[in-house]
Amino acid sequence: MKITDAGIRPYPAGDSTVARMALEAAGLGFDSAVAIGDAVHRPPGIEILRGAVIGAASVKEVLKRVRDPAVRRADIVYVDAGDTSFNRAVVSIKEVNVVRSIHAARRNAFDHVAARTAAEQGVAVDISMAPIIHLRGTKRQRALQRYADVLSLQRRYGFPLTISSGARSILGQRSVREIRGLCALFGMTGTEVTEALASVGWIAEPHRPVEVVK
Amino acid sequence: MRPRPPAMRTKRRYILARILPYGVQVDQKQMYFAVIEAATSLFGDAAVGLAQPAVVFCEGGYVVVRCRRGAENDIAVALATVTSVADERIALRTVATSGTIHALRRRMKPSRRHSGDEEVKIGETYFAVYRYPRQKVDLVEKGIKHQKSLFFTEADLEER
Repeated sequence: MKITDAGIRPYPAGDSTVARMALEAAGLGFDSAVAIGDAVHRPPGIEILRGAVIGAASVKEVLKRVRDPAVRRADIVYVDAGDTSFNRAVVSIKEVNVVRSIHAARRNAFDHVAARTAAEQGVAVDISMAPIIHLRGTKRQRALQRYADVLSLQRRYGFPLTISSGARSILGQRSVREIRGLCALFGMTGTEVTEALASVGWIAEPHRPVEVVK
Repeated sequence: MRPRPPAMRTKRRYILARILPYGVQVDQKQMYFAVIEAATSLFGDAAVGLAQPAVVFCEGGYVVVRCRRGAENDIAVALATVTSVADERIALRTVATSGTIHALRRRMKPSRRHSGDEEVKIGETYFAVYRYPRQKVDLVEKGIKHQKSLFFTEADLEER
């Protein structure tokens, strides 16, 4: 079981290089991290996976973008959440691994139909720590509400969750213990946090039936 | 007024947190305001009033926060949401919680910062180079106020 930070944005998107963030993540109790963007550097000691984010307005655009060479190279493909119909369609696309930015979507944008499809397809929903850490007031309350809603759907339908720090700097990274405390704010238990942190491992390498190659 | 006997005093817990980035100078009062703001916005006035958080001291790259016993987990979560002190970007990494400051002082390790004379040019900007153990390199923009910081490693610097 690998404890993974499901989303960091290293230099040049942020102010810390992927090697430095990897060093920091190892010190904070992570075994691997997903670097969004072209992280060519593979530092020793911690596994860095490559992530690609698709921010699209329509499903048609998502289908087009998943064929991009940069997206095809990625270990994990993320899609930014949108409205209800978009989310329902996006979770059924084979190439998509994770739906992210759920805190920024409208209430009930990720509904029970999307949740059931996500569970069937093995598509995860990402819970980013960045809104809880950086936002204040009603915006943070809204993010906590969305996460609590996603958690109740996850408990009912059993789709995977991932947890990301969303850090662009080493100053935005948080330890596993701190993440456990932050997730407790919307009712996530310690076991659920551990499962969510470990889920990137099997999303990247799913257990498929054995194929006989002749 | 006579002090209360020890058995009747409120039990306290002390939380030790490391301040990142290394070498940043933070005023104790400003740190107190940042911690209170973070805790109040997360848990509300009533919960923070009962938790009684206070900054005991802030020196050597560490801060010790005091709170009522039983509220230490909530205050540690609140510390994770502190992102700036007096317009300076920082992060607080909880190191340990204890019933005595003496025990926490044993966990405080001085950060060994090497030089600041060396400089490097990235794009059009000059940065002062500060080296730390485990090959960590902090680059601080040369200037007087609101300097940008970059966080590299020795290997990243050699590749440039």
